[in-house]
Amino acid sequence: MSTFTPASNIPSGKVEGLRRLSKKRLVNFIKSLGSHAIINFVGLFFLIPFLWMLMTAFKSNQDVFHTPPRWLPYDNVRVEINGQRFPLYQVQTPDGLRELAALKIESGMGTFVDPQNPSYIIETEIQHGTLTLAKPIMHVSFRWQNFPEAMQRGSRPGVGASFWVYFKNSLIIAFFAIVGTLLANTPVAYAFARLRFPGRDAFFVLVLATMMLPYQVTMIPLYHLFNEMLGWGNTFLPLIVPTFFANAYDVFLLRQFFRTIPEEMCDAARVDGASEWQIFTRLVLPLSVPVLATVVVFTFLWAWNDFTGPLLFLTSPDKFTMALGLRDFQGQRTMVWNQLMAAATVFTIPIVIAFFFAQKTFIQGIKLTGLKE
Amino acid sequence: MIKFPALDRKPTQSKGERPRWSARSRRNFIQGMIFILPWTIGFLLFTIYPMGMSLIYSFTEYHPRQPLVWNSFENYVRMFSDTLFWKSLWNTLYMVVFGVPLTLLASFICAVLLNLKVRGQSIYRVIYFLPSIVPTVASTLLWLWILNPQGGIMNTLLGYVGIQGPNWLNNPLWSKPSLILLGLWGMGGTIVIYLSGLQDVPVNLLEAAELDGANWWQRLRYITIPMVSPITLFNLITGMIGMFQYFAQAYIFRGTGGLGAPLGSTLFYSVYLYQQGFQYLDFGYASAMAWLLFLIILGCTILLLKMSERFTYYAG
Repeated sequence: MSTFTPASNIPSGKVEGLRRLSKKRLVNFIKSLGSHAIINFVGLFFLIPFLWMLMTAFKSNQDVFHTPPRWLPYDNVRVEINGQRFPLYQVQTPDGLRELAALKIESGMGTFVDPQNPSYIIETEIQHGTLTLAKPIMHVSFRWQNFPEAMQRGSRPGVGASFWVYFKNSLIIAFFAIVGTLLANTPVAYAFARLRFPGRDAFFVLVLATMMLPYQVTMIPLYHLFNEMLGWGNTFLPLIVPTFFANAYDVFLLRQFFRTIPEEMCDAARVDGASEWQIFTRLVLPLSVPVLATVVVFTFLWAWNDFTGPLLFLTSPDKFTMALGLRDFQGQRTMVWNQLMAAATVFTIPIVIAFFFAQKTFIQGIKLTGLKE
Repeated sequence: MIKFPALDRKPTQSKGERPRWSARSRRNFIQGMIFILPWTIGFLLFTIYPMGMSLIYSFTEYHPRQPLVWNSFENYVRMFSDTLFWKSLWNTLYMVVFGVPLTLLASFICAVLLNLKVRGQSIYRVIYFLPSIVPTVASTLLWLWILNPQGGIMNTLLGYVGIQGPNWLNNPLWSKPSLILLGLWGMGGTIVIYLSGLQDVPVNLLEAAELDGANWWQRLRYITIPMVSPITLFNLITGMIGMFQYFAQAYIFRGTGGLGAPLGSTLFYSVYLYQQGFQYLDFGYASAMAWLLFLIILGCTILLLKMSERFTYYAG
C-alpha cells in the first residue's frame, strides 16, 4: 500500500490556494485603491474652496483677477532705491530686455530706472498695440498685510467702525447668549428630565412643538415689540434677551443627557434631605460638564453665525456683527476679494479653533439633536 | 409631531392613575412650574404673543407707526394674484424638490464613503465636516467668489476637463443650482447624522447577508438603506423645513443686485416676505405670507410623515 501521495499533488493544491489568495488580495487591493480614489476626489470638493479662500486672502490686489486664476498668491518683486521700494519690471528698451524698477506708472506710460545705475532712466509705453513693452516681475509671496488691512477698514468708507469693532460686537453677543442659554435652559431641562409634576409631559410636547414654528411668523411682531414698544432698536438687547429664556433645542439636548444620570443617585440625595434645587445644582450640574460644553459650543456657533437677527435689529455700522459687516463690505464696495476673503477667514477661524478643541463635543451635539447650521 | 429616534417614549406614569391634586402633587406642580419658569415666560413673550399678533396683523392693513385697519382676508386673496408671490413660491419649491433630495443623496453617499475602513479615515471625516461650520455669510461670499465669472476658480477647473462653465451668478437658470452647490458644500451636519446611523446598522446582519452571498450593492440596498430610513425621514423633514425658510444665503448671493437678483431667480419665499415686511413695510401682507408658510410647512410635514409610514423601518 502506497502511503505516499504523489508529490506533485501537494504543491499543485498549494499553488491553487496561493493563486486564489493572491487573487483575493489583488481584488481587495483594487477595491481599496478605488475607495481611496473616490474618497479623495469627493474630498477635493470640500477642500478646494477652503484653500481658495485662504490663498485669495493672501493675494495682492493685482493678482486677484489674474487670468487664468493661479493657486498661489503672487506679488511684485520689489527693489529698494534710496530707502523707497519700487516694483521691478521687465522692460523692452533700446538696449534690449532689461530689469528696471518702475518709478511711476500713469495713463499707459511708465518711468523706469535701473536699480544698479540710478542715472539710467527711461520713459516708455507699457503697451504698444498688442505688444507688451513692460511686464511686472512677480514671485510667490504671501501678503500677510491683507489681514490687518482688512480688519482695520470699515465695511463702508467713512463710518469709523472697523472690522475689529464688528469682531468685538460678535464676541459680546455670543458671550451673553452663552450665559443666558446656560442659565435658562438647565433648570427647565432638569424639570423635564427628573421632576414629577402634573402636566409635565404635556408641557414637554409644547416645548417640542415650538421647533415647528418658522421664525418668519414671530419675526414681525418681535420686531415691533423690541423696536417700538421697548425701544431696543439698534442695540444688542433683541439678540441677547431672548436667550435668557429657554429654547426647545437646548432643553431637549440637556434633558436627554440629564436622563442618563442614574436616578438612584438623585434618590439617595433626596433620602438625605436634599431639595430638588440642591440636587440640580450640586449633583446633576457638576456631572453634566460634557453636555454643558456642547451647549456652549453650539450657542457660540449659532450666535456667531446668526445673520437674520442682526440684519433686523442692528442698523448703525458701529453695532454691526461680523456676519453683518461682511455682507455690508460686499454690498458697498467694488469687490476687494482678497480683503473680503481675509476678513471671512478671520470670521471663520474662531469656529475652526473651537472645532479642533471640541471635536467630540461637536459630533455628539449633532447626533443628539440633529442640529444643523 | 416629528419622531425623534433618541426621544425616550417610555411613559413615566401608569396610564390608569389620574393625577390627584393632593397637597403633595400641588407642591410638585408649583415646584415644576418654578423650574420651567424661564421657558414659560419666554414661550408667552416670544412665541405666543408674537404668534397671536402676527395672526391679527395678517387680517389687517398695517404699516408701522400707522393704525391697524381691518381688511379681513384681503391679504390672503391678494397673494393669489401676486405674480411675485407665485414666483417666490416656485423658486422655493424648486429648492425643496431638487435641493433637499439631492443633498440627502449626496450626504448618504459621503457617509457611506466615510464609513469605509480606509487609512486616514478620521482626517477625511474632518475634511468633509469642516465646511459645515463655516459661518453662512463667509461660505456664501466664498462661493460667490469661486463662481465669479472674473477670476473665480470654478470655471477654470471645469475648463481643465474641457467643460465650458456657465455664468453661475448672472444667469437665472444657474443661480439656484449654484445655491444648491453651496448647500452641498456645507452638508457636513447631515453626513454626521447619516454616519451615526450607518454605525448603528447591526454588523451581524451584514455578515449574515455576506455569507448568504449578497454582494455589496445588495447589502446596501436591502439592509443598510432600510435600516437608516428613519434617519432619512428625519433629514428629509428638517431639510424641507429649513429650505422653506431659506433666506440668508439668498440675501447675500444676489451680490450688489436687488433682492432676488438675477431676474428674480433667487427671490425665495422668505426673501419676498422680508422684502414685503422690511423694505415695503407692509406688515399685514408679510404676516399673512408668514402664516401661509407655517401652514405649508405643517402640511408638508404631515404629508411626509403619512407617506413615510410605508417606507420607514423602525427596528425594535
